[in-house]
Amino acid sequence: MSTQDDNTHTITRRSALLGIGGLGAFSVLAARLYYLQVVRAEDYKVLSDKNRFNFNTVLPERGQILDRNGVALATNKQDFRLVLVPERVSDVDRTLERINSILPLAQSTRRRIKRDIKSKAKFIPVLVGEQIDWPIFSRLNINMPDLPGVIPIEGKARNYPHHGTFAHVLGYVGKPNPEALKEDKDTLLRQPTFRMGKTGIEQSYDKVLRGKAGRKKIEVNAIGRTVREWDDDKIPAAAGTDVWLTIDSKLQSYAAELFQEESGGVAVMDIETGELRTLLSMPTFDNNLFVSGLSNAQFKELDTDPRRPQFNKVMGGGYPPASTFKMAVMLAALANNVVDPEDKIFCTGKTFIGNRDFHCWKRKGHGLVNMHEALKQSCDVYFYEIIQRLGMNKVKVFAEKLGLGQVFSLGLGGQIRGIVPDAQWKRDRLGTGWRTGDSLNAAIGQGFVLATPLQLTVMAARLANGTSAVSPLLVVGDEIAKAPPLDINPAHMAIVQNAMRAVCEEPGGTAYMPGGLGLSGIELAGKTGTGQVRGISVAERLSGVRDNKELPWKLRDHSVFVGYAPFENPRFAAGVLVEHGGSGAKLAANICRKILAKALMRDGIGPEENVVGEN
Amino acid sequence: MSSSRSPGSLIAKLNELNWLLPVLIMMVGAIGVVAIYSATGGKWNSGASQHLTRLMLGVIFMLAIAMTDIRVWFAIAYPGFIFALALLIGVEFFGVTVNGAQRWLDLGVMRIQPSELMKLAAVLALARFYHDLPVWRVSKPVGMLGALFIIMAPLFLILNQPDLGTGIMLAVTGVTMMFLAGINWRVITSSSILAVIAIPLFFMYGLKDYQRARILTFLDPAHDPTGASYHIIQSKIALGSGGVSGKGFMEGTQASLKYVPENRTDFIFTVIGEEFGLIGGLSTMILYILIISVCFWLASQVKQAFSHLLILGLTMTFALYVLINLAMIMGLAPVVGVPLPLISYGGTVMMTVLAGFGMILSAHIHRDVELPRGSGLLL
Repeated sequence: MSTQDDNTHTITRRSALLGIGGLGAFSVLAARLYYLQVVRAEDYKVLSDKNRFNFNTVLPERGQILDRNGVALATNKQDFRLVLVPERVSDVDRTLERINSILPLAQSTRRRIKRDIKSKAKFIPVLVGEQIDWPIFSRLNINMPDLPGVIPIEGKARNYPHHGTFAHVLGYVGKPNPEALKEDKDTLLRQPTFRMGKTGIEQSYDKVLRGKAGRKKIEVNAIGRTVREWDDDKIPAAAGTDVWLTIDSKLQSYAAELFQEESGGVAVMDIETGELRTLLSMPTFDNNLFVSGLSNAQFKELDTDPRRPQFNKVMGGGYPPASTFKMAVMLAALANNVVDPEDKIFCTGKTFIGNRDFHCWKRKGHGLVNMHEALKQSCDVYFYEIIQRLGMNKVKVFAEKLGLGQVFSLGLGGQIRGIVPDAQWKRDRLGTGWRTGDSLNAAIGQGFVLATPLQLTVMAARLANGTSAVSPLLVVGDEIAKAPPLDINPAHMAIVQNAMRAVCEEPGGTAYMPGGLGLSGIELAGKTGTGQVRGISVAERLSGVRDNKELPWKLRDHSVFVGYAPFENPRFAAGVLVEHGGSGAKLAANICRKILAKALMRDGIGPEENVVGEN
Repeated sequence: MSSSRSPGSLIAKLNELNWLLPVLIMMVGAIGVVAIYSATGGKWNSGASQHLTRLMLGVIFMLAIAMTDIRVWFAIAYPGFIFALALLIGVEFFGVTVNGAQRWLDLGVMRIQPSELMKLAAVLALARFYHDLPVWRVSKPVGMLGALFIIMAPLFLILNQPDLGTGIMLAVTGVTMMFLAGINWRVITSSSILAVIAIPLFFMYGLKDYQRARILTFLDPAHDPTGASYHIIQSKIALGSGGVSGKGFMEGTQASLKYVPENRTDFIFTVIGEEFGLIGGLSTMILYILIISVCFWLASQVKQAFSHLLILGLTMTFALYVLINLAMIMGLAPVVGVPLPLISYGGTVMMTVLAGFGMILSAHIHRDVELPRGSGLLL
């Protein structure tokens, strides 16, 4: 009994200690709770909201790119897309099979869909297809009750309604690449459906077109599912600004038609303002393909086409200007007084310099020609003679005054400088000295001389303008410095202009065609060029130079033409280059003639009914 | 000595029943129903109704145990312990693995968790052991080894499952009972020194990797914010953002948006703290303190060492549930997977705890029953 009492006494005594310990433990917990919920409450409230709210970026609509008349060249079209929410689809394979019966899905697409399903949270929609045709999309919509978890979505996708005619100017949009993500901290670039400009105006005016991201406040749970949207702290997206081009889309489409299957470039420019009415490289490619992503086959087709559709020839391609370079030689000769325009030089068909013959295009020779006739008939020997009196350096000055060997601020990448060579250039580039033969080649725009069709157009425009060094302009509203004076003697200019008129309007001119522009009372001035792409051997000359038609396409001459119209009070200048198009008098001249006529008609010069009719 | 002082009839027993304890228990259980309702997004059938049913059935079960004569519990103390130990060994060989821990025994009709049963059985066995052991032998080798066997045998099996939370509760309850039984201070001092040496060794070699990771995370929660310490950080955010008065019923964003994991079970207190603030949290704690205090008062009323130790041991178990769970949720203890009794969703713990309260009430109702001494396995 006493031990029992001892036991209970001990237990009672020690349980008191235990009780005190327990109270102590609860006090610590209560103090901790006070610390968390009172002392630190504000910190934790902030953390709780940080958990709870997310800001979702709202994509702005991309600005359109319009032509001078407001015709949309790059726009945003309703894009019908189909997505699938994995957690709401019980049998993915069966669902895809059902979709397949309406919207055909390639095996690779199905694999991609399944990969996406695996890699993302189950509630994140996976893209099944985009840019679905309306008839198919509407059939899918009708079948929605049989396709639980599949959702039709209408979004906006970049669209180029003309499919290719403006591809090189506009460029295209695509997913930002890692470098862009590194350089540009705009949140828009981090959005999965955002597309940024990759080339062309889309790229150079990307910041203008892109717009500003908006945001919406959403409540998310721990696994990232959106629970609801909140109206406070919302910022609407600011749509991108439209970019207006100086291009006349109708004129450019017409130019594209003129080229048919040919390869090359053409530009049409307002000789006063420099506004480019056409800037076309042919053949083109459908830039819409790059928005949705190119298939391997499509890429291969583009990449292996010998006419290089992706290459922007009009400003990125350097070609021998050929005889169109002769105006620069003429102006240099007149300015330096090395020849009287009426002095006649005898053309035998060739000039012997150093240890070889330099041929005129006309094997039999032109006989006695003065400056006017030399340009009109494009006599090479005349220019061989006067460049020897001048030297290359003096010609270079005038070539550059006319716009060769330089890039223009167009707000568009992809221009090359071309080459207006001199002794210094040759030493730097080739390490050998300048020889007379080099000058002779340059005199007829061959040898080292390279120019882009755009530069040739600028040259034609400056020749037409006569007084100011007008530069090309592509984007309306671009601040452009007032064109500096051309600084060429107007009397000399008149001689060249008259000779250029003779090329087109006088019998015997290399581009003479009865009827001319086909616009009564309006005359064309211009110059042909035939750019050699191969050396012609002595043996071949002896046996007779082969006709271009007999040669493989790659070896045929480039056809070049520069011109402006009307001869009196000129409005537009154009430069045309047809790769391997043969003689400049034919293809390039024809295209130039037609496009200048069209440009004038669209500008209200010439028969009114034609303008209406062809619109 | 006679047993005539035992209340005979059911009416007499009900008369002796302490009604305060069941009322407090039901109040805490009701908090559980409300908290689970909120934690499951306002769905009655995702736990709240089950919790209420279990609470009601459990209280009836508790009262049935309370009506059972203390001599029954006295008699089955050792057989019950051996039975529970056998089940734990059974788990070792035939157990069902859930979430990487082998804690369950599938009996076909139901699954039971022998470690829960052991929480009661070990307390019963220790109470019986010290009831039979004369005080002078408590600190002697026989007394020490006997008590240590009752604690260590199940502890070893439970830590092996692994179930650190139950293991800690069993060890602390057992040691507390040894302390209450009168182990002398010299032994206490020397074993405390031993423990200081042994605990780091146990930490290094006695724990599974994930258990060690949880403890390391507890010591430095910023170390791994989305991994193991995610629970602690998110539960502190939930509690802290609740402030003094809380965000309001069903307004807790941490809970409804599922930032706090397992908030229906182990982390249920975060729902209370977030939605009802410091006021709700402290009120809940006060209810727990009241329950424990009532138990202490009941313990002081009994005359038999068995009953006395039984009540205090079971109270200790209950208090440890509460203390470990709250300390864990407030970031004061590592996450060891101990639920908040009567509030957390889960049937097994509810039954264990209510069975324990049943025995406490039984010990109190039968406080005047004389229990024979020295009839146990050890003299």
